[in-house]
Amino acid sequence: MGWLTKDIERAPCTVEVSHCFESLHAHVRFNNGAVIHPGDEVKVHGPEIMAPFGEVVSEEREATIVRASKLEQLWTRLTGDFEVMELCEFSFSEEVTL
Amino acid sequence: MNAHTGKHTADATTVEEGLAIAEAQDRQYNDEMATETAMSNTLLTPRFYTTDFDELDAIDVSPVRAEWDKLIDQMQADPNKGHFKKNEDWDHVDWEGMDPALKKEFIDFLISSCTAEFSGCVLYKEMKRRGNNKDITQLFQLMARDEARHAGFINDALREAGLRVNLGFLTQKKKYTYFRPKFIYYATYLSEKIGYARYITIYRHLEANPEHRFHPIFKWFREWCNDEFSHGEAFALLMKTDPKLTSGKNVYWIKFFLTAVYATMYVRDHQRPAFHKALGVDPDWYAHEVFTKTSTLTKQIFPITLDIESPKWQPLLEKLQKANVDLDAARKQGGPMGFVKRLSAQARAGTAFVRLVLIPSKSHKVPENVRLEPAY
Repeated sequence: MGWLTKDIERAPCTVEVSHCFESLHAHVRFNNGAVIHPGDEVKVHGPEIMAPFGEVVSEEREATIVRASKLEQLWTRLTGDFEVMELCEFSFSEEVTL
Repeated sequence: MNAHTGKHTADATTVEEGLAIAEAQDRQYNDEMATETAMSNTLLTPRFYTTDFDELDAIDVSPVRAEWDKLIDQMQADPNKGHFKKNEDWDHVDWEGMDPALKKEFIDFLISSCTAEFSGCVLYKEMKRRGNNKDITQLFQLMARDEARHAGFINDALREAGLRVNLGFLTQKKKYTYFRPKFIYYATYLSEKIGYARYITIYRHLEANPEHRFHPIFKWFREWCNDEFSHGEAFALLMKTDPKLTSGKNVYWIKFFLTAVYATMYVRDHQRPAFHKALGVDPDWYAHEVFTKTSTLTKQIFPITLDIESPKWQPLLEKLQKANVDLDAARKQGGPMGFVKRLSAQARAGTAFVRLVLIPSKSHKVPENVRLEPAY
C-alpha cells in the first residue's frame, strides 16, 4: 500500500440474503479472510441478488476490493467521525417535504 | 398475502377435491407472482462502516461481569422470540382509503425504520465477525439478530403497502467509512434509548386513544422498544467498563451527542405533520415527553443531562427547525438568490445549534449500578 497508490484485489465471497418475515438481512463474507479497512471500496460482481420472499439464499461470488491509499485511509480515519450521526435512528428520512 | 392457508392436496379425499385444491393453490401462487411484479421497488441504502476492532477486542467486562451476564442471559433467552408475528391483532389496513399525505409520511417512516434496522444489523454483524473477544462478539450477534427481526417485521408491513425492498446495494460499489468506537457507543446508546422513549410514548398514547391507531404496527411498539432498551443497556455497560468514556473532555462529546440527537429528532418529527396529526400527537408535546424520558434514562451512565426546561431550549429548537425549512426552500429555489438565502439559513441553523449546545447542562452523580428495567 503506497501513500497515493491504490491496490486492487479480487476475493471470492459468499453473499447471504434472508428475505423472511423472521429476518431481513444480507451479509457478504470474504472466503479468503480478506479484511476491509477504512476507505476501501468493495464491489460484488454479477447480477443483483434478491431472495424470494420467505427464503434465504446464499451465493458464491467474486468481489473486487479497491484498497484505499495510505493517505486516503488516514483521511477516512480522521474525518469519518463527522458522519457518525448516521448511526442514529430518527424514524423519518431527512427530506423536509415528501 | 404470503400465508398458504387452507388444505393441502395431501388432505384431499377425492380426485376432484385434490384438483380443486391444486387449482386454488396455483391461483394463489399466480396472484403472489403478480403482486411481486406489481410491487414498486424500495431501494435499501445502508451504510458500511469500520471501526477500531482491536480496541473492541480489548474491552474487559470484568468490572460489570454480574450485570453483563444477566443481560446476555436475558437476551439469549429471547423473550420476544415469536412475538413479531402477525396474529389476529394485525387488523386490516385500508391503504386505498388512507389520506395521501399521511400515506407518504407513513411509508417514509416504514422505509426509514427498515433501513435503520437493516444498517444496525450490518454494523453489528461486522463487529461480531471481526471481533475476537467472546463477550463482545456474543453481544453483537444477539443485537444483529434483533435488528434483522425488526427489519423483517417492517418489511412485511411494506409489502402489504405494495412496496418491495430491493437489496441492489449488495452488488454496487460500497465505500467503507470509519467511526471511532467511543462515538459508536455514544451514538448508538442514545439512539437505542431515545428509540425506546419514542416508541413507548406512542404506544402508551395509543393505548389511551386507540381511535388514533391508523395502522396495526403500533401495537407491536412495546416489544420492539423493549429490544431497543436492552441494546441500550448493553452499551451502558460497555461504557461503564471504562470510566474515561464518561468523564473529562468526553463529557463535552456526550453533551454534543445529546444536543445533536435531540435537535435532529425535533427537526425530523416536525417535518411529518400528517403522521403526527393522524396519531393525535402534538410534536412539541411529544418531543418534550421523549426528551424527559431519555434524560431520566441516560442518567444511568452519563454524568450530565441537557436543561430541557431552560427558557432558551424550546425557542432555539424552533429557530433551528425554521432555518432547516428555509434551507430546503432555498436549495429548491436555486440561482443567486437561492444561494444567498441558503447561506443565511445555514448560518441561522448553525448559530441555533451552537446556542443549544451552550445552554449549561445539569450535572449529577452516576449510580454505582448501571442496570435499568423498562418502566414507562
